[in-house]
Amino acid sequence: MEFIQIKEIISAACKKLGVEEYEIFYTVSEDISAETFKHEISGLSSGESAKVYFRCLCGGHMGYSSSSYFEADELEDLVLRAKENTEAIENDDIVMIFKGSESYATPTATLPEELDAGILKNKALELHEATYGVDERVVDGTQTAVMSFRSEMYLYNSHGLELSNRVGMSGCYVAAVVNCDGEARDNFEFAENINSDAAKALPEKAVGGALEKIGATEIPTGKYNIVIDGKQMKDLLSAFSSAFSAKNALLGMSRLAGKEGEKIAADIVSITDDPMREGCPMQTHFDDEGVATYKKTVVEGGVLKTMLYDLTTAIKTGKETTGNGRRGGNIAPYNFSICAGENTLDELFSKAGDGIYVTGVKGLHAGANAITGDFSVESEGFIIKDGKKAGPVKSFTVAGNFFELLMNIDALSDQVKWGIPGGFTVFGSPDVLIKDMSVAGK
Amino acid sequence: MISRILLEDVLAAAMSTGADFAEVYAEKTRNNGIRFLDGKIDTVSDEMVSGVGIRAFIGTRTAYATTTDLSRAGLLRCAKAVANAIGDGNASVNISLTERIFPNIHPVKILPGSTPIKTRTDILKEACFAAKERDEKIKQVMGNLASVDHTILIANSEGLYTTDRHVRTRIAVNAVAVSADGSDNQSGFYGPGRGMGLEMFDFIDPREVGITAADEALVSLRADYCPAGQMTVAIENGFGGVIFHEACGHSLEATSVGTGTSQMAGKLGQQIANEKVTAIDDGTIPGAWGSVNIDDEGHPTQKNVLIENGILKNYMIDRLGSRRMGMPMTGNSRRQSFMYEPTSRMTNTYIANGPDKNEDIIASIEYGLYAKKMGGGSVNPLTGEFNFGVSEGYIVRNGKICEPVRGASLVGTGSQILMDIDMVGQNMATGQGMCGSSSGSVPTDVGQPLIRISKITVGGR
Repeated sequence: MEFIQIKEIISAACKKLGVEEYEIFYTVSEDISAETFKHEISGLSSGESAKVYFRCLCGGHMGYSSSSYFEADELEDLVLRAKENTEAIENDDIVMIFKGSESYATPTATLPEELDAGILKNKALELHEATYGVDERVVDGTQTAVMSFRSEMYLYNSHGLELSNRVGMSGCYVAAVVNCDGEARDNFEFAENINSDAAKALPEKAVGGALEKIGATEIPTGKYNIVIDGKQMKDLLSAFSSAFSAKNALLGMSRLAGKEGEKIAADIVSITDDPMREGCPMQTHFDDEGVATYKKTVVEGGVLKTMLYDLTTAIKTGKETTGNGRRGGNIAPYNFSICAGENTLDELFSKAGDGIYVTGVKGLHAGANAITGDFSVESEGFIIKDGKKAGPVKSFTVAGNFFELLMNIDALSDQVKWGIPGGFTVFGSPDVLIKDMSVAGK
Repeated sequence: MISRILLEDVLAAAMSTGADFAEVYAEKTRNNGIRFLDGKIDTVSDEMVSGVGIRAFIGTRTAYATTTDLSRAGLLRCAKAVANAIGDGNASVNISLTERIFPNIHPVKILPGSTPIKTRTDILKEACFAAKERDEKIKQVMGNLASVDHTILIANSEGLYTTDRHVRTRIAVNAVAVSADGSDNQSGFYGPGRGMGLEMFDFIDPREVGITAADEALVSLRADYCPAGQMTVAIENGFGGVIFHEACGHSLEATSVGTGTSQMAGKLGQQIANEKVTAIDDGTIPGAWGSVNIDDEGHPTQKNVLIENGILKNYMIDRLGSRRMGMPMTGNSRRQSFMYEPTSRMTNTYIANGPDKNEDIIASIEYGLYAKKMGGGSVNPLTGEFNFGVSEGYIVRNGKICEPVRGASLVGTGSQILMDIDMVGQNMATGQGMCGSSSGSVPTDVGQPLIRISKITVGGR
C-alpha cells in the first residue's frame, strides 16, 4: 500500500471518529545481507518492510498505535485504538501535534548503491578469504558479512506538515577466530561503506586484534591509571546518555538534573550532538515530532550547556526544544560524542606511565546503572609499562562512577572513534586517560 | 492468515532453484503496553506486528527473506528472492501440506488485550503505589504492564502446516530511592512475567512486585561499595540462575556449538561441571515465561537434560544446527519476530535442586559475598568469559549475612565456574528475563536453588 493511500484511509477514519489533531509516520525499508562460514556463503537474507505509526491528541492527551498490517480495516482500527488509549492517560504534560519549524536543513549523505545478491556474495567471500589469508592461525568459526539497507520515512500531520527523509548505509564485518596452541581468541571489526579503505583493511585489523589477545594474563586487584579506547568509551557514553534527557532530569532520574550552567566534567571535555554530522549515513533534518534538528554543544569546557529537550519538556521548563524528541514521548541524541583532544594515543600511554589500556568492555547492560552512574564491567586490554603498550590482560573488571569519571578525564586523544549507528543514534569518543581507577583481577 | 494453497505455491517457488527444504513463518502479534511514571499513567501503546519470513536450505547454506506485504504477489516475490539467493538450478517441486494441531499446554484464561484498559491500569497502579508508599525515600517509580498476543503459522516443504497462539504478560517496577540529603540515589527492579494472561495475578500480588523493587533500592541506598577481589560467593535462587544462562547456557546452543565457536563443542559425555550440578532446559512448563507449545520451526518443545551430575548430556538444537551437527532437533528454535531468521535459543533453563541445605551454604562461608539478586549479564561463547551484575548483595562474615554492598559484578570463565559450583541448595525458583542474540530478543526463564561458588572474581572498588 502506498503512503498516499494510507494517509487517505487514516485521515478519513480520524474525521469519522472526531479526531482532529493527529500525525502519521510511515517508514518503508529494504535490507540485504550475506554471511560466510567455512569458505562459502552460509546465509543470505533480504527483507522489505513497512510500518505506520499513528498518534493523536484527544482531551489533552496523546495516544499511540502502530501497525505493519496494511488492510483498510486495520488502519481504521489504528485510529480507534490510539483514541481509546488517550482515555487512560492521567499525566498533565502539555502535548501537541507540531505545526512545523521555520526551516529545515538538507541531508548531505549519499545513499549506498542498490546492491544485488551476487555482488554481496562476492564481497563477503572476498573478505572471508582475505581473512584466512592474513595468518595461518585463523581457524573455522571465522565469519564475515556484508550488508546494506535503505529506508524512507514520511511524516504527515493534521496541521498539513509534510516531511520526508531517505537514509541508508552499507557495511561489513569480520569476526576472526584464531587458535594458537589450543588457545582460541576472537575479535570483531566493523566498517561502514563496503567500498571504503576501512573495509579493505578489516581482515588485517580483525586477525591482528585476535592474535594480540593470545597469552593474556591476569592482573592483581588494585588502582590503576587507565587509558580507555575510544570505541569502549563511546559505549560508556551510550550507557549513560539517558542522563542528558530533560525528561529523566524532571523525573529525578538523572544525576545531571538542575546542573545546566554548572561544571560536570574536566575542563578539556566537550560533548556535541550533531544530527547532520558530515559523513554519517544516518542524517536526519527533523525529529519524530517534526521539529527541525540542529547541531548543539551539550558540554563545553566541562560546563553543561544544555540538556536534550523535546516539545513537552521544553514547555515544562520554559526552554526551547533541541529537536531531540523521539517516538513514544522519549528523548535521545543523534551523533553524540566527546570531542577530540590534542594527544596521540601513544602520548596517552606515556602520560599514564604504568597502567592498563582497556580495549574491550562487556556487560554494560547489566553492570551499569544509568541513574546513579555506577558501573562495574568485564574488561580486556593491555598492560601499559613505562609509558608503552605491552602484553595482553583479561578477566578483570573496571569499576567507577561515570559522572566522577567525566570530572577525572586527564587527557583525550586527537581522533573520535564512532560506533555503528542504531537508527539515528550513534555515539563517538576519542581515547581517554583517567588516573587511579579501581580494577578487580586475580 | 494465509491459505493452504497459497502456502504450497510459495514453498514451491522458494524451492524452484534447487533448495532441499523451504519454510514459511507468518505472524500476527499484538503488543500492548501501559507505562506508569511520576505517580500517573503516562503512556498507553498498541502495536500490531504482521509479516512473513521465508527460508530455504541447501545443506547447511540458508537464504532468508521477509516481507510485510501479505498479498499473493508480495509472498511470491519474497519466495523468489529466497530462491535466487539460495541456488541457480531449475527445479519443479510439488508441495502437499497437511494441517497438524499440537496440544495446547498453556491455555489462557483472561486475554489481556480484550480486557478494559482500566482493569490493567488498576493492576499496574497497585504495584507502583505499593513501591511509592513503601518509604518516603522512594522518590520515583516507573512501572510497565506489557502483554503479547502472538499468533504464528508455520508451513514447510516436509508437509507441516500448523498454527499456534501464545500469550504472555509481564509487570515490571523500577523504584528510585534518594538519600535524605539528596546526594545519592539508587534503584531497584522487579519484573515477574508468565506465559499467561491476566490470571497471572491470581498468584502474583502486584503489591509484592512494587515492594520488592522498592526494598532493593532502599537496601542499595544504605550500602557501601563492594570490595574488589576474588572471593567465595553464594548466589540466591530465582534470577540468580542468570549465572548458568550466561556462563554455560549460551555455549550449549547449536548457534555456537554447530559452528565450532563454543568451548563446549565436542564435550558430550565429559565431566564439565561439579557433580552436584544438573541443568535442564524445559520449554514445556505450563504457563512459564519461556514456554511455548511449538518452537518457531514448528517442532514441539521438550524437556532437555543438558548436564546430569556434572556430565554434558545434550545441546539445544534447531534445524540448521541439527544439519551442522548431525544430531536431532530439540525444540529450541526461536526468534523475536518474522524479521529474524530463527536459531537455537534457551526456553526455561535452570540448575535443579542439589544435596545441600541452604543454611549450610551460608554457614560455610568465612568471608565472601551473598548475591541475593542478580542483574543481567553477557558471555563470549568462544572463550566462555562472562560477566554479570549483582543488584542486591551482602558481605558474609563467619557464616553470617552482614552489611549490604552495591556496585558489584562477577566475572569468570564458564568452564571454570561450572567446576567451582561446589554446593547446590534446595530452593529452586525461576526469574524472568529477555535474552538477546542473533535471532532477536526472546523471553527466557532462568533458575536455580541457592548455590555456592568456591572462588570467583568480584568487581567492585
